[in-house]
Amino acid sequence: MSSVAPIAPVPVAPTTARPAAVARRRLRRGHVARRIGINLLGLAVFTVMIFPVYWMVATAFKPGRNIQDYKPHWFPAPATLSNFTNAVHRPYFWTDVKNSLIIVSFVVVLSLTVAFLAALALSRFRFYGRTAFIFLILGTLMVPLAALIIPLYITLSRVHLINTLTGVIAMYMTFVLPFSVWTLQGFMRGVPRELEEAAMVDGSTRFGAFVRILLPLVAPGLVATSIFAFIQAWNEFIIAYVFLHDGSKQTITVWLASFTNLHGTDWGPLMAGATLTALPVVVFFVLIQRRIAFGLTAGAVRG
Amino acid sequence: MAAIQLVHVSKEYGGGALAVNDLNLEIAEGEFVVLVGPSGCGKTTALRMVAGLEEITDGEIRIGDRVVNDLAPRDRDIAMVFQNYALYPHKTVYENLVFGLRMRKVPKEERRRRVEEIARILGLEDMLQRRPAQLSGGQRQRVAMGRAIVREPQAFLMDEPLSNLDAKLRVQMRAEIARIQQTLAVTTLYVTHDQVEAMTMGHRVAVMRGGVLQQVDTPQRLYDSPGNLFVASFVGSPAMNLLEVVLERDGGTLVCRVGDTDLELPADTVGRRPALERFVGRHIAVGIRPEALSEAGEDPDAPRLRGRVLLVEALGAESLAHVEVTGTPLDRPELVDVAASQTHLLPVGERTATLLARLEHDTGVRPGHIVDLAVDTRRLHFFDLESGVAIAAAAAPVTAAAVG
Amino acid sequence: MAVAESEFPLVSRRRRRLSGRRVASALAPYALLAPAAAIIGAVLGYPLYLLVRLSFEKYGLFELVRHHGTWVGLGNYRKIFHDSQFWHVVLRTVVFTAVNVTLTMVLGTAIALLIARLGRFMRLLLTTALVLVWATPVVVAVNIWRWMVDYEFGVANWTLTKLHFGNFVHHDWFASSLSGFGVITAVIVWGAIPFVAITVYAGLSQVPQELIEAAQIDGARAWNVFREVTLPLLKPIFIILASLSIIWDFQVFNQVWIMLGERPSPDYYLMSIYAFVESFRINEYGLGSAIAVVMVAMMMVATLVYIRQMVKTGEVR
Repeated sequence: MSSVAPIAPVPVAPTTARPAAVARRRLRRGHVARRIGINLLGLAVFTVMIFPVYWMVATAFKPGRNIQDYKPHWFPAPATLSNFTNAVHRPYFWTDVKNSLIIVSFVVVLSLTVAFLAALALSRFRFYGRTAFIFLILGTLMVPLAALIIPLYITLSRVHLINTLTGVIAMYMTFVLPFSVWTLQGFMRGVPRELEEAAMVDGSTRFGAFVRILLPLVAPGLVATSIFAFIQAWNEFIIAYVFLHDGSKQTITVWLASFTNLHGTDWGPLMAGATLTALPVVVFFVLIQRRIAFGLTAGAVRG
Repeated sequence: MAAIQLVHVSKEYGGGALAVNDLNLEIAEGEFVVLVGPSGCGKTTALRMVAGLEEITDGEIRIGDRVVNDLAPRDRDIAMVFQNYALYPHKTVYENLVFGLRMRKVPKEERRRRVEEIARILGLEDMLQRRPAQLSGGQRQRVAMGRAIVREPQAFLMDEPLSNLDAKLRVQMRAEIARIQQTLAVTTLYVTHDQVEAMTMGHRVAVMRGGVLQQVDTPQRLYDSPGNLFVASFVGSPAMNLLEVVLERDGGTLVCRVGDTDLELPADTVGRRPALERFVGRHIAVGIRPEALSEAGEDPDAPRLRGRVLLVEALGAESLAHVEVTGTPLDRPELVDVAASQTHLLPVGERTATLLARLEHDTGVRPGHIVDLAVDTRRLHFFDLESGVAIAAAAAPVTAAAVG
Repeated sequence: MAVAESEFPLVSRRRRRLSGRRVASALAPYALLAPAAAIIGAVLGYPLYLLVRLSFEKYGLFELVRHHGTWVGLGNYRKIFHDSQFWHVVLRTVVFTAVNVTLTMVLGTAIALLIARLGRFMRLLLTTALVLVWATPVVVAVNIWRWMVDYEFGVANWTLTKLHFGNFVHHDWFASSLSGFGVITAVIVWGAIPFVAITVYAGLSQVPQELIEAAQIDGARAWNVFREVTLPLLKPIFIILASLSIIWDFQVFNQVWIMLGERPSPDYYLMSIYAFVESFRINEYGLGSAIAVVMVAMMMVATLVYIRQMVKTGEVR
């Protein structure tokens, strides 16, 4: 069965069926055509997905006569900043930006502090009721804001917090806090407990181990979670819309609605305002997208 | 059943480096050939080209009488056993085994019959409804084998199938795979980095290094007549002792000067290896298998090396002695198997070399002793120091590509 | 043990101290959780309780001023269950959710499979676009689409006319609720695709290459590899994505509300809109609450599926 004679130096006679080189070229040509086709499809999907975003930015830079034209002007040429000046000089723009920032900062600081402690408990301790609490956190997903808003309105009207930023800050905790707890405990679980145990064996206290080992290691996770909390709070519409009545008390998302009145919509300034509203969110989001994206699904794929 | 031929096969990944360089290899019908070499030597790439998982840059691969260069894996009628078994985790053992038959539209009754037969042969009958996660490593390995066998393919391709098993199970499965291959007589190409596995399983062993085939031969001939320094250092455990010596003529005989000692070579040495003549007066590499060294007896004329014992490893059936002798250790890392040369963990002086000797299990030698080691000079191996190619015996043509 | 304790007081003292520490460490997690639990209880727990209570009360403008509702038992529920509009809204919401979730999942998965096959440059380009879309705030997205389908100057009407899909000059997309929901679905699906596509793509890249190769050698064609190997392996991801999509699409509010200029006609009522309008436009907070309670109950199903899958995949440990 085994052939003793070494075959290496004796080339096997090439087959006459088809020279390998020809076959290879044929294979490559089919391959290349397929690849071009796929990439063209990718380009088409790219165009469809990006177009609305492009259209917003392009419109924002177009002069009014080019916007109010049945035939679309595909490029913002000539470009103008007048839509942006118009938007910024509308009533309450700066006030509402300030309101949004105040609300968002309070929500982020408050929820992150509280969530950090809770995440610590969930990721570093085993205790009775732990699983129940996790179910509670995940269960908050099923409560739609549109439903929650009714009792919240009744409650806040009793304590006279309607039309105050304080009330809105409290209500934003309903969706920011559970999410922050969940993401943070995910980040913390990613830090091997052995590191803290090593620190404790080396003479650190449990608290010292938290501070010196865990905290620096979850710092990126804390930043990512804060940014995501920021985005959620910044984007919120319905609560701010219902609870803040005065133009001077509203948030930036509600402000965007002021472009539409009974006479129609000022599309140019609206798109400029929309661009300005989206800008901080997009910048932040791009920074953290990779870290945060899989919080809700992580670990679902295992070989 | 079909033969596999690789003719001038090369594989280039981007950047011009050749992962496989002009490989010629034929696996006869029913033959078990093992491709062996250190990691990164191109053996897995070669196997994957045969499987159709890797495009061929140049050359031709034939299975039976078909050129398979541009056939998809599914059309090559081969089965493969993967390193991590690649069992479908969401399918039961039965579903794993039957999948290939289903894809090939084998009739249902036939499928059931074949799977059950294979399960019986491999002792998997009680596990057919389990998932891979519920199996032990050895059982998974068996399912992976079964998946290959049940298809009754033209050839088996196996990519380090035993590397995930613990040592004991590996030895057991080694025998089992060899037995199955023998029973079914399926053409098999088997890839491993473990030379012991290669030597014990293959009808023939192909040693690769840096994308280049070094030598193809039966295990015994590979061991007895390595074609170059790389094969010499790679094959065999413990590895061959390699020294740099000076070849001199002393009257009618040749001598190897190891340090201050002259080893007289048998009178018929030149007769058996005429090429040696050309190296007289030059430095060459000499290889001594550990079993060619023994404790010297009384005969003062027998060639011997004196050294200090550094360490004795009692293995039960024998004892391995590390003996420090005066001499020059071979220092050509580019020509030998680096992993093997790194086994000399004991300090090696500039003028001293450490030799491994296979001694009797009841040897009285202890660390610190000075011993005389008798050298069986008939079993020495000689290599050109520049190219690493064996200075071959005239009668035995040995294939050896120059290491490039 | 008891004997040893009395004989060696040193040991017992050491033990008592240890157990003291043990008590502290047993209480620590509860102390850490307390603030979060308190806030969740105050802003979520109590309102939920109140929601359920309100659903059993008559609570109109009068009661709002009086800060006190009137118990009506199952009255509100009886009312909505006998209201044909309510059932229309439920059906509309279910169909709407089904359409949106299906489109999101199918298109998102298709794009994920496409990304996996793209060249490096196109892949980067497409993922960048996806991330940008993902990052666009809902309120902004709705306004963009509202502008694109504007009846007078919208780019959609011009393009569709030019492509000979018919005469779309001055076409009002919201005149019929079907085409109106078409636009709303476009906004939602467009905005939801990135999350699904990027998650599935990440999942795809985690499917061991060897399994695909093994299937190819076993004789499977591309479609069979996908159906027999990739799809089952990604099943947990699909379950999670689908349940999240159901949860999100079932409670859609902003897209409809803003798209229709904050005055949607009853043709556009989804359950969230209906509950909102009953409460804040008609000032029937009790009725609105009853609708909201039904909604929460329906969402519970999708949430349970989600949580169960998270437990199964080991996310809840």
